[in-house]
Amino acid sequence: MKETLQKFFKMDRRWIFLVLAVVLFVPIMRPLGLPNKTISRDARNAFDYVDALKPGAFLLLSLDYDPSTRPELHPQAVAVIRHAFKKNLRIGVVTYIAGSTGLIEQIFETVPKDYGKVYGTDYVIFPYMANAAAVMTQMSSDFYGIYDKERNGKPVRDMPVMQGIKNYRDMALVVNITGTSILDWWVAFVGDKYNVPVVGGCTAISQPGYGPYLQTKQLKGLIGGMKGAAEYESLVKEPGKGTSGIDALNLAHLLVLALILTSNIILLIIKHL
Amino acid sequence: MSETWMIAGGWMAAGLTIFLFSFLYRDNPFFKAAEHLYLGAGMGWWFQVYLFNIWKPKVWEPLLSGDFFVLIPAVLGLSLVTQFIPRISWISRYGFTFMMGYGAGLAIPATLSTDFMSQIAGAIQPFTALATMTPMMIFNSLVVAGGTICVLFYFFFSVEHKGAVKKISNIGIYFLMIYFGAAFGNTVMARFSLLYGRFDDLYTFSGANYFYASQILLIALVAYFILHSFLGGKKTEEEEPAH
Repeated sequence: MKETLQKFFKMDRRWIFLVLAVVLFVPIMRPLGLPNKTISRDARNAFDYVDALKPGAFLLLSLDYDPSTRPELHPQAVAVIRHAFKKNLRIGVVTYIAGSTGLIEQIFETVPKDYGKVYGTDYVIFPYMANAAAVMTQMSSDFYGIYDKERNGKPVRDMPVMQGIKNYRDMALVVNITGTSILDWWVAFVGDKYNVPVVGGCTAISQPGYGPYLQTKQLKGLIGGMKGAAEYESLVKEPGKGTSGIDALNLAHLLVLALILTSNIILLIIKHL
Repeated sequence: MSETWMIAGGWMAAGLTIFLFSFLYRDNPFFKAAEHLYLGAGMGWWFQVYLFNIWKPKVWEPLLSGDFFVLIPAVLGLSLVTQFIPRISWISRYGFTFMMGYGAGLAIPATLSTDFMSQIAGAIQPFTALATMTPMMIFNSLVVAGGTICVLFYFFFSVEHKGAVKKISNIGIYFLMIYFGAAFGNTVMARFSLLYGRFDDLYTFSGANYFYASQILLIALVAYFILHSFLGGKKTEEEEPAH
């Protein structure tokens, strides 16, 4: 009996990989529609902050993630952009991660069309810039000293979307979605220094680390990981990749719990045999 | 992008994903090829980013338009390269000096204000408004302030940890463990999200519009493993199974 049970701990790990793959793949092929009933306080705060902005307000959206964190952060970005367009906000998109540029193009090829938004009038995409901290600092005095042209080289100063925008004081909100520490910089170099409200979106790994900023309201809200994306999608009432990923995440978490419980129970039995 | 390129991209993405995941079963030439391709493509990608997104707009174009001030940061930046030539590597100190001074000047005041002063204020401030707070809010504030003090005690090494100090620092350990637990749980969730993302793409590329790229490549790889084992392919030291 003891030897039989001990075999469980010598099981080939590849069986677990296979079960995990099946558990994650099945909901993609056949969505189970498991409910996502909990909306975290931080995601709701992020939503409420964007929702409270007046139509025409300028939202600076810093999208700083590359394909390595796309499954978590891309749905967040899409949900925030949909929300901003629904609210008729003006959007300026910046990035400090070169790998983001393709993902930004991917979003803006489709999403603006759903809301009849026009490039240059309702939104503008700025080119990638290196050295985020320097750019953030310099933008405080003269936005156009850094971004005088959009990503295709057209001058932005006279674009309708940029009317009345000279520096951070003219912006209603900064939203930074990132898989890096750039969100810390937005808080330190912009939010705290120039009193600009900052809302964040980050990977689930980084999420616990932003608790202190949320407690002190240095961050007005935070969307964390794929779960946060699903929460924001349900608040905007635009289900997307975040919502569809919840099925798979729920099942995978159940599998992990089952494995932890099983191995602990077996270990207890072995000890008492 | 033309449809042909989209399909080719789909096959490439599906193939590389499956090849890289194949390592979970066993090391194999397809995994090696994908790994090397990833490194090479990564290097190429960064080279073009530096060339076209930094060097061209920040150095070359200003120089062409007569702005010679950009030569100062450009030369400071180039001085770092002298690290590779021991005889003149001392020149790199000028570049590093500038970077250190600039970095410290930018980071220290901001960090002191954002991560130090604001956090201390954030832990104390709720106690100035106790009359307006609900019992739960007061409890939360006490937990935050108490947790902060206990964890700080744990990291205070100038006093021997015994008696009351030991008890407080032990409570600090529990707060740290809760944080690590939350962080680890979130890490697991994040990894599953990434895996889900790859599987979602594989499912997309398994459609008829991509000529069933995922299925064909997966079957081909399984066939390789079966053939390899039937033909008696010897396990080399590098080709150990993943367990």
